[in-house]
Amino acid sequence: MQAQSQENRVEWEGALVQRAVAGDSRAFERLYREHSGRVYGLCLRMTRDPQLAEDCTQDTFINAWKALKQFETRSSLGTWLHRIAVNVSLGKRRKATPVLEAQPEDEDGTLGGWTFETPVEVRELESAIGDLPEGARDALVLHALYGYSHGEAAQMLGIAEGTCKAQLHRARKLLRERLNLEVN
Amino acid sequence: MTGPKEHRVKSLAELPEAIEPPRDLWPGIEARLKAQVAVSGTGASPARARLGQLRWLAAAAMVASVAVGVWIGRDVVPLSAPVPNLAQATAPQVTPAQQAAAVDAAFVSDPRYARQRAELLQSLQARLDAMPQPARAKVTASLAAIETAKKDLESALGKDPSNALLQELLINTYQDEMRALTDVHEASDPGRGI
Repeated sequence: MQAQSQENRVEWEGALVQRAVAGDSRAFERLYREHSGRVYGLCLRMTRDPQLAEDCTQDTFINAWKALKQFETRSSLGTWLHRIAVNVSLGKRRKATPVLEAQPEDEDGTLGGWTFETPVEVRELESAIGDLPEGARDALVLHALYGYSHGEAAQMLGIAEGTCKAQLHRARKLLRERLNLEVN
Repeated sequence: MTGPKEHRVKSLAELPEAIEPPRDLWPGIEARLKAQVAVSGTGASPARARLGQLRWLAAAAMVASVAVGVWIGRDVVPLSAPVPNLAQATAPQVTPAQQAAAVDAAFVSDPRYARQRAELLQSLQARLDAMPQPARAKVTASLAAIETAKKDLESALGKDPSNALLQELLINTYQDEMRALTDVHEASDPGRGI
């Protein structure tokens, strides 16, 4: 049932993409309405700046429009948009605040499901994530929150998979300290 | 960030993936998409396509300025009526070639225009803040569309300063901006109300 629903969704999105490629901006608006929340959510978590996140979201959809012909309609549009959003966010963040990228630790973390022994307030958790160093936060947001594999997250961020794992390990350690509880 | 923040979660996966933007970003995206379509349209030369795009932008700015009046519930100037014209007050009847030099003088350097615009912009944020959120979002989007049109027209005029059509579109867009700013200003004046 779920697979059928997913298939229908891919077909529906594929049809909208075809129309958008042909120049139908109403079809593209449907795609925007469908995906803007996830794109903005990712941009906001990566930039921590609502205004910058708005700019990134707009640029993501503009870039997507330009590259729509290259999108494979059988793959996930959401993932494709996220890839663009990560690129845009990294680029804008570099321009906005050029910072030295934190060096990842050498440890190759073996990561669990990112669960907490004690429930955590959403606001407190979002705040703790926002306070993480950029590299650790990026890896955590993509892997633990949006569910991308280590390889996918690393590819999106343009880093080695081992570096991504190390950043996740670091993120978990810092979250544990800041939330003062065990992160499994 | 929006979303249910008061509840507790036991894993990161329980956090909402989607966060709705605080305002509708589509109008800004759509304006830029139309520009893309105009530029890449088949059969059109780059110059013609660019002009088509700029015409569209100027039209969008005009619609946006009228929309500002609509969003804040004020009477708006009918589309077919002559626009209250700062240009007529500051620039005499001139040939298109003369207009090229007159545009900046009329709309950018004229001290009365510049002063009035600066005053309106200075109080704009406070007046927007006083509006109901939905109206504020729509007015902000409309003003952004006007700003985009202005920048693109100015940029195009920089490359083709004697283009009379571009000058006219830019003048219209400056008028649209002034009209929108004035509408916002007057709508939030004490006693006039939104």
